[in-house]
Amino acid sequence: MALLDVEGLTKCFGGLKAVSNLSFQVNEGEILGLIGPNGAGKTTVFSLITGFVPPNEGKVLLEGKDIVGLKPYSIAHKGVARTFQIVKPFRKLTVLENVSLAAFLRHSARKEAEAEARRVLERVELIDKAASYASDLTLSEQKRLEIARALATNPKVLLLDEPMGGLNPTEIDHASILVRDICKSGVTIVWVEHVLKAIMNSCHRVIVIHHGEKIADMPPEQIVINPVVIEAYLGKKANSYKKGEPIC
Amino acid sequence: METLVQSLVSGILTGSLYAMIGVGLTIIFGVMRIINMAHGDMVMLGMYSSFWALTLWNIDPFVSIVFWVPVAFLIGMLTYRFLLKKIVPAGELNTLLYTAGLSLFVSNLALLVWTGDYRTIKLDYAVMPLRPFGIAVPIPLAIAFGMAILITALLYWFLVKTDTGRAIRATSQEPMAAALMGVNAAQMEMLTFGLGTALACGAGVLLAPSLYLYPTVGEILVAKCFVIVVLGGLGSVQGAIAGGLLLGVVESLGAVYVSVPYKDAIGFVIFLLVLLFRPSGLFGVGKS
Amino acid sequence: MKKTVLIIIGLIVLGIAPLVVRSPFFVHLMIMVLMWTVLGASWNILGGYAGQVSFGHATFLGAGAYTTMILYLSCGVDPWYGIFIGGIVAVLISLPIGFICFRLRGPYFSLSTLAVAEIVRLVALNWESLTAGPVGLLITTLPQVSFFGKAINWESKVPFYYIIAIITLIALIITYIVSRTRVGAYLLALREDIDSAESIGINTVKARVVALALSAFLAGIAGGFYAMYLRYVDPDAVFSIGLSVEMLFIAVVGGLATVGGPLIGAIVLVTLGESFREHFLSGHLIFYGFFMMLAIRYMPDGVWGRINTLFKKLRLKKDVNHGTA
Repeated sequence: MALLDVEGLTKCFGGLKAVSNLSFQVNEGEILGLIGPNGAGKTTVFSLITGFVPPNEGKVLLEGKDIVGLKPYSIAHKGVARTFQIVKPFRKLTVLENVSLAAFLRHSARKEAEAEARRVLERVELIDKAASYASDLTLSEQKRLEIARALATNPKVLLLDEPMGGLNPTEIDHASILVRDICKSGVTIVWVEHVLKAIMNSCHRVIVIHHGEKIADMPPEQIVINPVVIEAYLGKKANSYKKGEPIC
Repeated sequence: METLVQSLVSGILTGSLYAMIGVGLTIIFGVMRIINMAHGDMVMLGMYSSFWALTLWNIDPFVSIVFWVPVAFLIGMLTYRFLLKKIVPAGELNTLLYTAGLSLFVSNLALLVWTGDYRTIKLDYAVMPLRPFGIAVPIPLAIAFGMAILITALLYWFLVKTDTGRAIRATSQEPMAAALMGVNAAQMEMLTFGLGTALACGAGVLLAPSLYLYPTVGEILVAKCFVIVVLGGLGSVQGAIAGGLLLGVVESLGAVYVSVPYKDAIGFVIFLLVLLFRPSGLFGVGKS
Repeated sequence: MKKTVLIIIGLIVLGIAPLVVRSPFFVHLMIMVLMWTVLGASWNILGGYAGQVSFGHATFLGAGAYTTMILYLSCGVDPWYGIFIGGIVAVLISLPIGFICFRLRGPYFSLSTLAVAEIVRLVALNWESLTAGPVGLLITTLPQVSFFGKAINWESKVPFYYIIAIITLIALIITYIVSRTRVGAYLLALREDIDSAESIGINTVKARVVALALSAFLAGIAGGFYAMYLRYVDPDAVFSIGLSVEMLFIAVVGGLATVGGPLIGAIVLVTLGESFREHFLSGHLIFYGFFMMLAIRYMPDGVWGRINTLFKKLRLKKDVNHGTA
């Protein structure tokens, strides 16, 4: 049985189908990449899975149990954590407080929560900044704080929404190592990203979404030479595109 | 039937002044994101200006408005420059609290200087109302109505037709883009605050002959203002005009057909319903 | 260690103050400071910690005041139970208000609380069979109560002082517990970002309702006390927007989301205010307004908040050094 099983998920905004009859499975222990052109509906998929937006149709099964209709906080309880594409730290709280708050989900005593938060901060290499206010961090640090906060809820599945957006190449390499490291520690990851290079190097499997529909679901090496994917990304230019050459 | 027409007419007459105050509040919100809790006190200051011009210098309110409006415009710009400018970047809630402080300060200072006595303005020509078609129309309110329409129309023309007006509207819609196009946002904000204050104050001058004056009258007026701009959609000028007229009519009908004591409550109930179900205003043009 | 000593000294001063200084004006001043501390603390839980800025807290004060008064006048319920029931009634009233107003965020929430409070005031003004309308309710005698075999003299202000001192302690202890536990941390998360709070497993609706209920309870109790102390209530005295705004100012000037803030805010504002009220009826409000503007401009964290952040930074720096060493 897959850890997370999405079946026939559909969401319309007005007349527009943002996500259309989308099905995919996430297996335990893998890093699943979720890519697609701008406006393909990737973030919406995350919002649907985590309960921020109710779907019109479809099921989301976590370990076989449907979690559609639950509020975001109870989905977090069940072990699905997410980060936000546009970072949303608790700005006027310190880094340690930010992460401790998330750790409160599994530890009711303040001391235990703080100890857990410190462990997570060491993993994401933010421990030096524990006492800084979240609003004083650089973007790269805020992105790591997002990940730290999600990790501190001790999730089974971690949904990362563009953790690399706006980072420079060195920071991207650094963050990729972090994501792989998190996966190795036993957390399953679904990863939305525009930086394709990072996805291709780290993911076990990649799903491509276009206009809210799944157009490919295969290992990364096949994705980059798949004609349907190339056309979705490059449009008509695909004709003049040399066959067999990776798109990134 | 006659009662209905009568209350519709008085509703529209008062509503025109509500609209004028509401437009002032809404343009300030549109450009600066300030929910100006002191807006009602600007109306109060206008009412007292009108009163003192008549009592001390024997100048009719409908004449003294000609110089009170520019004075209020200047005071508004100075208020923005020296009191508000540094606060605006701190966010909506801080400006809300700050202007609440300003409101308390101004209204209680007025209470200290002018005492809490209710005052009225008596005009010789106001004794008998006009009676077109058997409907009583108080003369001061009729003149105020005419002037309110004139001033609001002038402002509307200014916003739509002049370059400065366009710059203000641009800042209101897309502050970033407007700034990139070379609009001086700080200048537009100061100008807008001056205009908003002038409208509130001007409406106060016009209202003075028709209402009781007392220093804390701003409290109830600012609450009505919020009803108006939320009805019309925060930030929308047309919405505020429509909202003002609507509130005037609803209050006046409510006083006749529901109950006088609950007249003010009707406005607030509508306010809550709109906030809950149509947060962008009845006409769906406001910003949330 | 130092903190404990300070708290013990504070408690002793609080305990013997009215015995040392016998001037009735001074005792009245201290009663007012303590009562406004409770009201500021009440507002602070919802507005400071949870970041839901209410302009309608007078509703809960009024609910407590009227409940205590009506129960005593028409059912003969002892006011000292009545005050507690007043707190409960305030909580019950807060639930439908929360249901309506919590759908809105930021300034829209504030405006909606203002509207609800005005509706409540108008209802109180016009529901004459229950509230006696604008005439108000008046009590002439308070029930006989003995304390260690001695009848309490209600004509003196000292017994009122001790009652409100106990209520204040309860309010501060509740705030302290909130600030030290998971609940308080959740409220802060709510203030900062509702979506993020939900995403890390916080039931934000429940957290807001808890904050509102606690807040309403404290305001209701203070309202009950207010009614008994003044022996008179009318709608404008307990339901006015002015009162809501005063509570808010005390919390903001003292320091939002701090335990001691409301106490500091009440000491600063009420002392100044009451001394000016001597000369001129609403003179204190001029200063409230002025202080509010100064606070937002120069000290957005309030007096206490300013001191607290300095300490916190020092402490955290120490902690981090320990942690990595």
